[in-house]
Amino acid sequence: MDGKLLEILNLRTYFFTEAGVVKALDGVLLEIDKGESVGLVGESGSGKSVTAQSVLRIVPRPGRIVGGSVKFEGEELLTKNEDEMRKLRGPKMAIVFQDPTTSLNPLYTVEKQLTDILMLHRDLSREDASKQALHLLDRVGIQDPERRLKAYPHELSGGMKQRIAIARALSCDPVLLFADEPTTNLDVTIQAQVLELLKQLQKELNMTMVMITHDMGIIADMTERVTVLYAGKVMEVAATPTLFKSPKHPYTEALLKAIPSVKQTRTLEVIPGNIPNLIEPPTGCVFHPRCKYAKDVCVKKEPELEKVTVGHFAACHFWRELELEGKRD
Amino acid sequence: MAWRRFRRNKSGLIGSAIVIFFILVALVGPYLVAYPPRSYQSLYEGDAGDPPSFKHPFGVEISGIDVFSETVDSTRNDLYVGLTATLITTLIGVAIGAVAGYFKGAVSDILLGVTQMFFVVPVLLLILLFARVFSVLVFKGLGLTLIVLILSFFGWSGIAFIVRGETLRLKETEFVQAARSLGARPIRLLFRHIVPNILSPVIVIATLDIAGFILTEVVVSFLGFGDPNTSTWGLLLNEGFPYVRTTWWVALFPGLAVVFCVLGFNLMGDGLSDALNPRLRE
Amino acid sequence: MRSGDRILEVDSVVKYFDVLERGIFRKKRVGEVHAVDNVTFHIFAGETLGLVGESGCGKTTAGKVILLLEEPTSGTIRFEGRDVVETFQHGHRDEIKQLRRSMQMVFQNPYNSLDPRMTVYDIISEAFAIHRHIPRSQWTDRVYELLRMVNLEEYHAERYPHEFSGGQRQRIAVARALAVDPKFLILDEPVSSLDVSIRAQILNLLIDLQKKQHLSYLYISHDLSSVRQISQRVAVMYLGEVVELASADELFDRPLHPYTQALISAVPVPDPDHETTRIILPGEVPSPINPPNGCRFHPRCPHATDICKDTPATFEDKLVQGHFVACHHADKFV
Repeated sequence: MDGKLLEILNLRTYFFTEAGVVKALDGVLLEIDKGESVGLVGESGSGKSVTAQSVLRIVPRPGRIVGGSVKFEGEELLTKNEDEMRKLRGPKMAIVFQDPTTSLNPLYTVEKQLTDILMLHRDLSREDASKQALHLLDRVGIQDPERRLKAYPHELSGGMKQRIAIARALSCDPVLLFADEPTTNLDVTIQAQVLELLKQLQKELNMTMVMITHDMGIIADMTERVTVLYAGKVMEVAATPTLFKSPKHPYTEALLKAIPSVKQTRTLEVIPGNIPNLIEPPTGCVFHPRCKYAKDVCVKKEPELEKVTVGHFAACHFWRELELEGKRD
Repeated sequence: MAWRRFRRNKSGLIGSAIVIFFILVALVGPYLVAYPPRSYQSLYEGDAGDPPSFKHPFGVEISGIDVFSETVDSTRNDLYVGLTATLITTLIGVAIGAVAGYFKGAVSDILLGVTQMFFVVPVLLLILLFARVFSVLVFKGLGLTLIVLILSFFGWSGIAFIVRGETLRLKETEFVQAARSLGARPIRLLFRHIVPNILSPVIVIATLDIAGFILTEVVVSFLGFGDPNTSTWGLLLNEGFPYVRTTWWVALFPGLAVVFCVLGFNLMGDGLSDALNPRLRE
Repeated sequence: MRSGDRILEVDSVVKYFDVLERGIFRKKRVGEVHAVDNVTFHIFAGETLGLVGESGCGKTTAGKVILLLEEPTSGTIRFEGRDVVETFQHGHRDEIKQLRRSMQMVFQNPYNSLDPRMTVYDIISEAFAIHRHIPRSQWTDRVYELLRMVNLEEYHAERYPHEFSGGQRQRIAVARALAVDPKFLILDEPVSSLDVSIRAQILNLLIDLQKKQHLSYLYISHDLSSVRQISQRVAVMYLGEVVELASADELFDRPLHPYTQALISAVPVPDPDHETTRIILPGEVPSPINPPNGCRFHPRCPHATDICKDTPATFEDKLVQGHFVACHHADKFV
């Protein structure tokens, strides 16, 4: 297939709340090739989850996509109606959510939740769907799958529920998988299990995976390319090693300096201030109030996402001049 | 912040307007109407049994009682029942519920059991029973205060349950734990931290209770167990019911008053519930 | 207390919770949750002891027991040499108050740990109202001083919690804890609910305050990176027991207990060159109602042998001085 699997251009998604219009995504750009493992990193309010929701067109009210373009396999998604989107969700693209407790329906058995989807999209009989479901559970490494199939979500542990959520997402062999903070609610050792599983599955199925997280460690481990989001805008896009070693955006540099590491103690550099209010975001560059390199132009003019080199982009007026520090060895 | 939400809730505002209207009528009305309570004056004026007119906006009963004056006078009495009973039951309910929820052990279990017992009692039937016995013994109908007392004695269990549940939940929240670790004693925890945070559901329930208690009074008086010397809507309905085919205005207007009053409190309660509990809306 | 003295001693503390079944008239005890099972450690004055573990390991319960927010089933807790449980149960009201003032806690969830109905001023000054160690005339000044200490402004005192961000609320919680002039703070996952860029602010603040106010910390967390950042020594808990305790560098660079090894290897490292050799533990964390026999970790341990199945290992520092571990085979990893 020629061209990118997913092309997002100038995507804007706003939430129309009582308190005002929250500009959750304000001009997001993202490009993904088939088979890539891409990271979408940002803190709360960055818009990373909303991006996935926008592609799948499942943005909750009072949110609405107000502009931009999302092209999947060459086709524009934003002009499709709900029926057309429904045909895509499952067979073409899927998502694993952060909290498996709320993303699995507590009233139905695991079997029912999996077979429902299979029967809907694959037109299988109930017995065939059940067999498929069993196979899926095995695929995601669940022991004793026959028994788990008949279980209800509340009878299962967090790690197991998340595996089932993954199984459900993969049930119709999607081309594109969004993983939205899939391990944030899990214990560390269980997180390791699930991350290993995702890595393995991605390789086996040659699946395109978008890993949405705030954890730079997961980005370093699981992704080839990464996009850094802040307050609804793209700050930097780069190959993962490049982002860590030679970041070109002050936010990326600040983020890398602020995270403690389990490998060594060091002085953490604090990013002053708070995540901005998305109803009235800062003028010019949205990061300027917290940026130690900010100058006049940063307050007045919003920087464009400029090309640093092949595959490396940064939205900063001074990326050429600044000598930013990445991870030292 | 909750006010902003309340202001935007149209039904809540309408309800509050109705409630305020009735309160004004109760306060000022009796001084403005033409005839004193329970007065048969119109009989002597030759207007007995007249339909609604300019002189008698709600018509006249066959007995000569002016329906409009009576309806207005009843407002004060019915609101008195509703508001007083609610006040007392809320105080009792919060006190018992908070103690039952906060403390562990025998005290809590006993209070819970007592609350459950009171909850199951059919208050209305009890009142009617009591009224029957009372009237046989004393040859009088149940006065308002007595109704209020009975309602208060039995009507607190609903609030107590809710308060107990909320107290149990709030007890474990971190800000209560923090106050405990600062050295706060149970009384301070209960009154400074827990009770202020349960006011929201309590206010909503109390508002709806007012409507409920008023309805109970209406039923009691309608069935003839109330005091025939006290003007209440129920009494009017009782007097108007046999003659619905002829002097239909006697039952209609007090009936409408009941409907609107109850509706007003219900809408207000709904609006308050939405305003104070934004989680449901999101 | 001078540095080097033990400010807190936890000795063989046990906390079991009853599992009750509701009958018609009474509740029947059908089992026990072994939340904290024979935990022993101590904290030196001026140091931070990190307490790590996953959910259900008992670390939060341990914290609550130390503060006597929960009563221990058995064991001793000594603060500055005085028996804490004794004081709470039989001591003078003044003694209890003094103890409460010396030990404070900062809770995990900044959205829940401040009373939504009270202003910041009320929240912080409540400490003064309870303990009356400052005359009323000085309350406002002291509140402003505390706010400044945590890098907040004086005008914040008039606001309500919901007007603040998570990081700011956590600072208010710290200010409240400091309002009683404590010597010892238990920090229960203080940064876990906060954004990455805010975590550093709070961690640095805590480290700073520790130096300025000569505080001792018990830092409870499942986030090993922040634990390493702030702690001098670290204890690892699994299913209610402490399985390893050593200086931070010792523990992270040379973990001797297989669980600690798996835990550390599971943390994603923000370095693309880092070779991830994750030790994947099979299965789930078993229930603390029926912990396994012998060494509690044996069902999931890649190095378990027969002896591990029946005999619990002793918690000792025979192999490396100051490095305590409870494992039959720790010698393999030295």
